[in-house]
Order: sequence, then C-alpha cells, then structure tokens
Amino acid sequence: MKKFILLLAVVTVFICSLSTIAAEPVTIEFWHAMGGHNLEVVNNLVDKFNQTHPDVQVKAQYTGSYNDTLTKTQAAVQTGTAPNIIQIYEIGTQVMLDSGIIMPIEDLGKKVAQDTTFDWNKFLTPVANYYTVGGKLNSMPFNSSTPILYYNRDAFKEAGLDPNRPPKTFAELKDYARKLTIKNEDGTVERYGFTLGIVGWFVEQMVANQDANLVNNDNGRSGRATESYLNQAAAVRFVKLWQEMVAEGIMLNPGRGWDGANQAFSSGRAAMLIESTSSVAAFTANAESAGYELGTAFLPRPADVNRGGVVIGGASLWTIADHPETELKATWEFLKWLSEKDQQVYWFENTGYFPVTKAAVESEMNNQFFAKSPNYLTAFLQLLLSKKAVSTQGALIGTFPEVRQIIEEEVEKTLQGSLTPQAAMDEAAERVNKSLAEYNKLYQ
Amino acid sequence: MEEQNYRSKKVIPYLLLTPTMLILILFLYWPSLQSIYLSFYQQAPFGRKKIFIGLNNYFSLFQNSNYLISIFRSTIFTLITIVLGLFLALILAILLNQDLKGIKFYRVIFFIPYAISATVAGSLWVFILNPVAGQVNYLLDLLFNLQIAWLTNSFFAFLAVIMATIWKNIGFNIIFFLAGLQSIPESIYESARIDGANSLTIFRHITVPLLSPTTFYLVIMNIIFSVFESFGIIDIMTQGGPANSTNILIYKLYREMFINFRPGSAAAQTVVLLILVIIVTILHFKYGNNKVHYQ
Repeated sequence: MKKFILLLAVVTVFICSLSTIAAEPVTIEFWHAMGGHNLEVVNNLVDKFNQTHPDVQVKAQYTGSYNDTLTKTQAAVQTGTAPNIIQIYEIGTQVMLDSGIIMPIEDLGKKVAQDTTFDWNKFLTPVANYYTVGGKLNSMPFNSSTPILYYNRDAFKEAGLDPNRPPKTFAELKDYARKLTIKNEDGTVERYGFTLGIVGWFVEQMVANQDANLVNNDNGRSGRATESYLNQAAAVRFVKLWQEMVAEGIMLNPGRGWDGANQAFSSGRAAMLIESTSSVAAFTANAESAGYELGTAFLPRPADVNRGGVVIGGASLWTIADHPETELKATWEFLKWLSEKDQQVYWFENTGYFPVTKAAVESEMNNQFFAKSPNYLTAFLQLLLSKKAVSTQGALIGTFPEVRQIIEEEVEKTLQGSLTPQAAMDEAAERVNKSLAEYNKLYQ
Repeated sequence: MEEQNYRSKKVIPYLLLTPTMLILILFLYWPSLQSIYLSFYQQAPFGRKKIFIGLNNYFSLFQNSNYLISIFRSTIFTLITIVLGLFLALILAILLNQDLKGIKFYRVIFFIPYAISATVAGSLWVFILNPVAGQVNYLLDLLFNLQIAWLTNSFFAFLAVIMATIWKNIGFNIIFFLAGLQSIPESIYESARIDGANSLTIFRHITVPLLSPTTFYLVIMNIIFSVFESFGIIDIMTQGGPANSTNILIYKLYREMFINFRPGSAAAQTVVLLILVIIVTILHFKYGNNKVHYQ
C-alpha cells in the first residue's frame, strides 16, 4: 500500500511537471495607437516582457489612431474577437466605463490575480485622480501628457523681450505676440507671434487652468453630466483671446490638428506655440538642428482668475473582462510589469510622455535628468502644482469625442468671424447638451 | 430532347448568376437591409443596448439645419466636380489624342493621380496649399502678391477640396474620353471637313454627340466618385472644416458613426444618401438618355 501511494505520488509529480513543460505560454493581445517612433518603443517594451516572461506572450498590434482603436474595439466586441488590453484615450474613459465589457484594473489586480503586494498608491496623484472613478482605478495609466507653452528664446531677445520671463497672463501673451510679430512692407507676415492648432483639447485645458469645470455635476464625476459649461466665462474668455489674436494678425491660424502649428513653430514662422509635453523631445531636437534656443513655460491664464491647472491627457490601458482567467492573470502580469520603475523610465526617456509612477520620477530626479532637461521640468512642475480639484481631475463625458469636434467647429466659426465667441460657445453648449441628453437616455 | 434543352436553358442562366448574386446579397443587399433596420434604433456604443425609436432618427436629421445645409453643400460640390471635371477631362483628352511624339508619356502623367491613394493625394494637396511653405501661395505671392488661407477659410477650403477631387479623378475621365474619341471613325471627320466644317463645328456637332454614351457613363461614375469617394481627400485635407464648410454627406455620415458613435443616426443618413443617389440616377437615365446618341 505504501509503495502504491509512493508510486502514485511520483506519477502525479511527473505528470504535473510534464504538463507544465508542455503548457503553451498564455497569449494575450494588446491593441494600441502608438504609431511612428513610439511604435518601436512599445514593441521594444513588449519584446523585453516576452523574453523575461516565458509563460506569457504579449502580441502588440498597432490599430491606428486613438479613435480607430476605439472603433475597432467596438467592432471586435460585437464579433467576439476583442483583445485583452486596449489603449484608449483619456476622453474615452466614460464610454469605456459604460461599455459593460471592461474589468476595472483594481478588480483585476485585487480580485482576479489576488495580488497583495502591488502598491496602489504608486501612481502620481493627478494621473490616478483622472482614472479613478467610483472609488477605484479603472484603467492602467500609460502615456500621459499635458500642454505647455513653447517659445523661441532667440526671437524673444530679438524683439527685446526677456527670455527668462515668458508670458503669464492672457494680456501678456497678446502683448508678447504683438511684439514678436514681424510684418513685411507689403503687409504679409514674416513671423507670427503665436500659433495654435485648432484642437478641442486646448480649450478643455484652458478651462481647467482657470479652475472651472467643463460640465455640471462636478465635471461629471458626482453624477452623469447633463449640462455643458462651454458658454460660461472661462471657455469664452479663451476663445475670445484666440479670435482677437487671429483677427489682429499676430497669431497664425494653421487650421485643425497639430501638424500645421508644429511646422510653423519649427520653421520659425511662429515664435510661440502651445503643444503637448509629449513633443518636448521633437522640439528640442528641432531647436538644436535649426540653431535656436527653446524655452518652455506654464500655460497663461487671465490675470484676475485663480489658477487651476492642467488635466492629464494621453491614454490608459483597459482590460476586457470576457477572457479566461489564465489570460486575465497574464494581463495583470503585463500591466503590473509596465508600471515598474525601469519600464516607466524607459518609456519616459524615449517618448516624452510622463512616467506615471512616483518611483520613476524620483529615479529621474536622482540621476539629474531634470537638471539636464529643464523643459521636462516645466511640464512636471505644471502638473504637480495644479490645484487638486474636480476642474483639474478632468471631465467625464460619454460623448467626449463628439464634444471635441463641436468645440473645434465653433472655434472655426469665431475665427472666420461668422459668430462672436459668446454666440459660438452658446451654440456649442446647446449642441453638447443635446448630445448628452441623447447619450444619457441610453443609460437610464 | 428539345424539352430538356429548354429546361436547361432556363436553369443555366440562374446557375451562372448565382455566384454574383451571392456576393451581391452578402456584401451589398444584406448590409443595406441591416442599415435600414438599424436606422429605427438608438444604439449604445459597443452595442450593449438598443432602443427602438421608430422614425426619430430621420426626424431629427431633417430638423437639423446642419444636415439640410450639408445636403445643399453636397449637391453644389457634386455639380461642380462633375461639370468642371468632365469639361477639363474632355479638353485634355482631345489634346492627348494628338499624334505627337511621346504622347504616351503625357497620357501616363495625366493618369497618375488616379492611381495614387486618396490619402496620398490629400497629403500632397495639404502640402501644396500650405499657406507658409506651399508652392501655390509662393507663386501667388510672387505674381500677384497674394497670400490665401487655403484650408482655413471656408470658401477657399471648399474650392481646394473640389480642386483636389477633380485632380484625383481626372485620369479616369481622360482614359474613357480618349477611348471614346478613338472609336469615332476618321471618315466622319473627313467628310465633315470636305463639307467645309471648321474645327469648332466638328467638335460641337460630331465629337460631342458621338461621345455622349461615354459622357453618360462618366456622369454616373462621377456622381458615385464625388458622393462616396471624396471622403478620403476631405478627411486628410480639412476633416469637414473649417466650420463645416467641406462637411459633405458622406463625411458627416462617417463622423456620426466613427467619432460620435451613433450607429442609428448614421444608418439613417446612409439610407437618405442611398435614396438621393437612386433618385439622381433614375432622373439621369430618364432625361439624360434622350440626349445620348448611339452610333
């Protein structure tokens, strides 16, 4: 009998070990929207993970823009071929929460993977605040960015401005832009003082910077947003400044999107620009090759308004719930690994997106990274000095992608002079309200 | 024997049609029916919830002044691209029909825009029309001291998109006009010349009528091009802006579906667009066909 039990034990151990050897690594799919240079960085990270984790294979797939990725996910969910992890932009947060297909990352870590060692306080507060809804972290913060003011220090000197004193207020921005603008004799503009691509994000940020909300119910965080505040003072003030500066010919309107404004600034046709912090690396490299000195500063705001701050932008990683437990656990492994210090530092130094954990920031402080790259410091300080309030926590809006489009259309109307800033923002608010009502009807 | 032959004659055509029908049903009729079905619902993103709302999607479309303006805008856009596009194509086709040395080289050059993708074409035009670094403004500045805000002014953006669309499709039109021109027998021209007709008369009374079957076909194709396929160029060049000035029906539909995530409303827009195109095509067949002269 004893012998039999021993034999049984041996056989069991043998079979178990056999099955572990023969076990296929768990494959998880990861869809993301990082193209170009960042695509390589993502692939490098994934390769490194796969090499160090033989039991898990992550397959990264570039699925186009943020918007395309969201669209493709919707289609995939309906045909039952959804990936395990998707990268969704910050404004897709509410729609993901409403989707009914996700597993909050905190549930994944605590309940499914039963990971008790993970430090949930490791994330930078502004970042964690954005993605924490209903008392838990819903998605893994990944690539985060905010807008800052970039300026050409050489142009400042040329115009008799102090390059160590960038504009702080709306009035100063206008005044500086006027001084920086160079007009030819025939009336054409040689250099504009300022430029800004028509992107709804900037209006959102400028509202937060004045410590105001975009929508009611505490920016949609204490209840579903039902009313837009786009027609209130904060948004209107900024759109008015925008319209006035373009009308005066001291600000170049490069049209929608980022490229036109970036080109104008890089080629020296505009002396100041507001753009994402994720472009620090690109602008720094450009300044070096073109031979001018780059400066960065916080976003300006109206002089008589209290400072709010910036809202974290970029994207986060969401987990799709409808997968076997082994895959969910592997998903957690990967996400956890991504949030570790080394990966965060690698990501930050190679893309320009913020590291999202405190440990990574500390490590960069220790090795003097910020001392060597003061422009990154601007980006960080602006984020960390932001007031802790719902205004800077960021709005939750189910139809946020549409809201952005509406803002862009209405800004265009004011820049063309077909509507006054107030009238355009009234129209915007009305359209957003209608869109919110329609969306909310689905979730009553 | 004869009986059997008759029967097989009855069956075989249907048999031969089956593959085509299958493809059409699967990829054309079934999705169209689904669109009609979807247009009666309001659907949540990710398809989690669907509410039957009857004709409300249609009602809100036609109560939306933006949509009505977009119909008008699309009509103007289609009309200009077709009339101007075909006119230019015809002139170029006649020029390219000359017996010149290296004419094939020129023909290829004019056909190239049609062969490149809409994305590339759009990017190219964005580059050419760039207010700061573009060639067009450089020349305008040099010649007339003009700086035009091509893509940030509603009027010029509309013009720019029309230009790009015409440019993109002109190769297709030229090829068909060329083929049409070459199928007109030389003898007709010869006898006309003997009768003392000048080249303008020949063009008006011989070339144009004899080309009419080609023109008829091209009008239909160009309606389809400018209604459905101008999407890519607009997406790259203006994204429907500024202030909606280039937001034609097909682009509006795309945005409703893929940015605003409103499948119901997008489906309703698809149905409206389909009906509009069907009406225009029927009218064209009914009234345009009278003027077509078949040899």
